[in-house]
Amino acid sequence: MAEATATKKKNLDGAPVIDFDKFRPTRSSENARKRKDYFMTGLIGLAFVIACLPLISVLWTTIVNGLKRLNLNFLSYNMTGVVGGNPTPSGGYGGVLHAIIGTLEITGGAMVISIPIGIMCAVYLVEYAHGGKLAMTISLLVDVMSGIPSIVAGLFAFSMFTIVFGPGTINGFEGSVALSLLMLPTVVKSCEEMLKIVPNDLREASLALGVTKQRTITKIVLRTALPGIVSGCILAIARVIGETAPLLMTAGYISSTNVNLFSGQMTTLPVFVYQEYSKLNANCPVNATSACVPTIPMERAWAAALVLIIIVLVLNLIGRVVAKVFAVKTER
Amino acid sequence: MRKNILVRSIAALSGIVMLAGLAACGDNTASTPDGGSSSATKSEPISGDFQGAGASSQQAAVEAWIAGFQGNNPDAKIAYNPSGSGAGVSTFLTGATAWAGSDKALSDDEVSQSKEVCASGAAFDVPVYISPIAVVFNLKGVSDAGKHINLDASTIAKIFDGKITSWNDPAIADQNSDLKLPDTPITVVHRSDKSGTTQNFVSYFKDAAPNDWSYDLSENWPNSVGQGAKGTSGVISTVQQADGTIGYADFSQVGKLGTVAVKVGDSYNEISAEAGSKVIEDSDLDSSAKGDNRVVVKINHETTAKGAYPIVLVSYAIVCPAYKDAKQGEFAKAWLTYITSSDGQKAAQDAAGSAPLPSSLTDKITKSIEAIKTK
Repeated sequence: MAEATATKKKNLDGAPVIDFDKFRPTRSSENARKRKDYFMTGLIGLAFVIACLPLISVLWTTIVNGLKRLNLNFLSYNMTGVVGGNPTPSGGYGGVLHAIIGTLEITGGAMVISIPIGIMCAVYLVEYAHGGKLAMTISLLVDVMSGIPSIVAGLFAFSMFTIVFGPGTINGFEGSVALSLLMLPTVVKSCEEMLKIVPNDLREASLALGVTKQRTITKIVLRTALPGIVSGCILAIARVIGETAPLLMTAGYISSTNVNLFSGQMTTLPVFVYQEYSKLNANCPVNATSACVPTIPMERAWAAALVLIIIVLVLNLIGRVVAKVFAVKTER
Repeated sequence: MRKNILVRSIAALSGIVMLAGLAACGDNTASTPDGGSSSATKSEPISGDFQGAGASSQQAAVEAWIAGFQGNNPDAKIAYNPSGSGAGVSTFLTGATAWAGSDKALSDDEVSQSKEVCASGAAFDVPVYISPIAVVFNLKGVSDAGKHINLDASTIAKIFDGKITSWNDPAIADQNSDLKLPDTPITVVHRSDKSGTTQNFVSYFKDAAPNDWSYDLSENWPNSVGQGAKGTSGVISTVQQADGTIGYADFSQVGKLGTVAVKVGDSYNEISAEAGSKVIEDSDLDSSAKGDNRVVVKINHETTAKGAYPIVLVSYAIVCPAYKDAKQGEFAKAWLTYITSSDGQKAAQDAAGSAPLPSSLTDKITKSIEAIKTK
């Protein structure tokens, strides 16, 4: 090595001489770096495991406790005629059909309200308002809205319906309104981000061909951003489908099935879980048969929680499939 | 491609519609009381949507009543929101619900407010649900062996006031000479939320041990002894989790926990539905309740009746004597008639472990119910 540097010195006269040996890592510092690398990798891995622990624990507990009562009977009956811990004539212990219908209808209602408004709001922010005052105000308000506690949304919907439709109005649509308030900021935010990452070249190319702005937005921009918009909306739904507090006061609680979103109380899955948990134990009369299960409310609550998780999972899958079907084909 | 998407969306939509069509079924056939011999009500079956709200203590019983009531009136849809006594009464006073369930009788103020809601006259309350309140405890070697502990009113009051802090305190040991009590510290568990159970529980101390209980009556727990837990379920699970805990809860929620046998007269009486009924039988009506048709029980906590258990919760149904909507009146009358009948009380006893209404009360209640105008 030393010889090589000597010849270099001869060839490049006057050029600064670099002593590469100086930069060669010594064995001890090399090992120290490796140790640090292992240590940090281990630390990051550990952080990941710790972050996953509660998630896995929640899933595991819900599945273990919920599977006990989760069967076809549980999914195909409601809670009418369920008394204490006694089994119903069909051999089950009541079910969540009414709550599943309520959850789907109320969340569907919230989607119908907030997704069009949210997408149009995002289109305005990205395509029309070029950093104007109104756009700044809207962005600020959306940020503020995303911080609203869910109970406040519930109170808002409750008082609005009380003023408009008279005292004590409780129906599923009221719950939809409360949930849409919570959904809206998430929809606007995610759609805005998705529209922003659509390449400007696409818009310019479209406009250069003489396509109107309206058609450019609907056919080019929204079309390109569609998969992202769909997944954003699914996230927003997942955020509100488990809300209990606003639905407790707006949608009510009833043991029979109600399919009319606009009249009568409706039970939703989170409210059902809460009410069953509050009951804690069912009473079995002294002369009851062994078919009477005193712990049935808690078991129903766990099973209903599992059903809720499964519904969110299925919605996620549907969202992915939809995004895939409608995605722009980039390859020919 | 375009057509493809259209076809797919139509398929998805019709799938959802078909699912919705399925939704109509799913009712468990309501249990019809067998044999038409019992009190054959020839009147038209009630139909429509009816709502009630109020005491969560009544929830299990109301569920049984709804199931029983729908057996005779299959087209009646009844919802009960267990939002709490206070919330239930205020909802009722807005006219939104047909009846309210409440763990305490109406105040004079509430009675006068109700005149605006009812078509004529003022609202009244009748007792519909009597539930013994159990003093539950968890103590290794005693409660897990299925043994009861004997206590008198003054000792229970001192425990819940933090004056007695150990399980082997002489005051407890003297009354339980057959038990071997450890020196575990006592942890009091009480309700952290507003509750009629709390009010009924401490009103027992106020009457039976006035020297050891100096606090005013309230639905909130009055002192800072021990720890609070939300709801009956919270109290029960907290008591279950630790050794040396004591709390109070509705009888039906006791499960495997130990219960206190309370001193009445010279004997110690264990909790049971019948024992709870006996103290109401030995109680008078509260004459300070002003208003027509009102049946308010003044619980005789110092009863010496044989076999009576003095700590009970009396829960009321609050209705109007006449409704602006005649249908609601019809429902209220039929509903109250059913739940105070022996069938209804039996259903509640099976479903919620409540005590049946004593016969001394039912006559007065029936008379009040008859005052509801249906036309």
